[in-house]
Amino acid sequence: MPAALRKSVPHVVMMVYVVVILVPFLFVLFSSFKANNTEIALHPFGLPKSWKFSNYQEAWVKAKISVYFWNSLYLAAAAAAVGVLLSAATAFALTRMKFPKTSAAIYQFVLIGMLIPGNVLFIAQYLLVRNLHILNTHWSLFLPYAAGALPFSVLLICAFMRAIPTELEEAAVMDGMSAPGLFARIILPLTVPALVTVFIVNFLGNWNEYLLAQFFISKDALRTLPTGMVQFRDAFQTNYALVCTGIVFSVAPVAVLYGFLQRTIIEGLTAGSLKG
Amino acid sequence: MKTTLKNPYVYLGFVLPTIALYFLFFIYPMLTSAVYGFTDWNGLDRRNFIGFDNFANAFGDADFQHSMYNNLYFIVFSVFVQIPLIVVFSLLISGVKRLQGFYKTTVFLPSILSTSVIGILWGYIYNPDVGLIASILKIFGAEPIYWLGESKWAMFAILITNAWQWMGFYIVLILAAILAIPKEIDEAARIDGASGAQRAWYLTVPLIRPVINVVVMLSIAGALRVVDIVLVMTDGGPAGATDVMASYMVSKAIKFGDYGYGTALSIIIFAFALLLTALYQFAFARRQERVEY
Repeated sequence: MPAALRKSVPHVVMMVYVVVILVPFLFVLFSSFKANNTEIALHPFGLPKSWKFSNYQEAWVKAKISVYFWNSLYLAAAAAAVGVLLSAATAFALTRMKFPKTSAAIYQFVLIGMLIPGNVLFIAQYLLVRNLHILNTHWSLFLPYAAGALPFSVLLICAFMRAIPTELEEAAVMDGMSAPGLFARIILPLTVPALVTVFIVNFLGNWNEYLLAQFFISKDALRTLPTGMVQFRDAFQTNYALVCTGIVFSVAPVAVLYGFLQRTIIEGLTAGSLKG
Repeated sequence: MKTTLKNPYVYLGFVLPTIALYFLFFIYPMLTSAVYGFTDWNGLDRRNFIGFDNFANAFGDADFQHSMYNNLYFIVFSVFVQIPLIVVFSLLISGVKRLQGFYKTTVFLPSILSTSVIGILWGYIYNPDVGLIASILKIFGAEPIYWLGESKWAMFAILITNAWQWMGFYIVLILAAILAIPKEIDEAARIDGASGAQRAWYLTVPLIRPVINVVVMLSIAGALRVVDIVLVMTDGGPAGATDVMASYMVSKAIKFGDYGYGTALSIIIFAFALLLTALYQFAFARRQERVEY
């Protein structure tokens, strides 16, 4: 085999893979701009004859994609932020304060959470939120999401904080700074890279979560994007363009985020799986 | 220095919120699961302890057995179809210089998306009237196939979608391991006249065995707890043909209110996960714990 040909074989194989990944997205994107089912059926592969942007307006307003979208956004962000802050505070106490035995025990205790596969606790958590009378409110998602983030976040932030040298805080303590001040003004700013990674991983996890959102929330106005989308698909089953519009609405924000932060996202997600 | 970082009240202030939330949503549900699993509780009547009856019933329950087989399909498909492909693709990506970053970014993309959206997206691709596959088949004059509506195709269609979503994630894991191997080893083999395929098979693959083991275990664990994709694409249908253990557990608990029985099923899922990963560790992963370069 000539060298040039041999060199191009991997590229050819990988290009086929890339096409298999990207074509479904393009198919949905083009369909979302098409006028109706007839146009999709007659010209499945081509670009739309005229780009029908009104599909997007219709899905956003009439089909309540906007409601699902904002619910998802604020729940995912709030739960991720609270999870990260709680984990950072805990990691600070475990790695910087002088209670080594208690800290080691707490660390092990929190890591037990990483051994339990998510949906094993589903029924028990369902009954728990029911007993707390928060079923069908956003609390029933916010609390489990924030709690679910803790084991992995504590693990990663602890690892990061251990690497910060102690000289800085020694000087700060000499100058009379308190422990909370030390945390907020010295350690937290230095930990920002780890906090960002952990926040993004948690945010994506919450944004994509389906099982709890499906069964803990039954009011349509409270649904998040993954469950609202399923609802939307079942309601508009025969309007393919509109369903495709909904898919674009839920894929686009994540794809844009990924475009900017791909390295952080890939590193964060793979680190999460390897340590878990 | 001593007093500032040794104040127990400040320490508690930092630690307690996390412990409280973690206890409420992890430890407490674990403890209640261990209780519910041994009762016949249906959410309304008084709950009675019935010992191991739920577990005995589960293994006699034909529908649950069927869902176990479906989990088995997930395991077999990921270990014997996906993982060989994943290793091949990783080797291919590691061997190129141009576009390496592009390949890595693209194949990883589906794994950051919501399983629910991917289920809807692929439901549309599989659509017998206007879907991508039906449209391609139409060119060749073939009849449309009801991928998700026929029992004999539905499971296969879900497996393909699941592979499409997750393969890239594992490719990135294995690729990182391949790229961490020192270049000198590969150089030396090349100078000795080993071909690319020989170097891949006799050098790279043995050196990344630990990571492949990790990927096998993650795949098995993932295959045992798979649920979202089934609920979104078929809801276990047609007629329970695609139910997996977790989706069966969820429908028993939520649709029928059989909390005791459902919890017993979730304990069985957990036990399977522990058992299979322990067996795999024992059989394969133990022999080479660390690779020395």
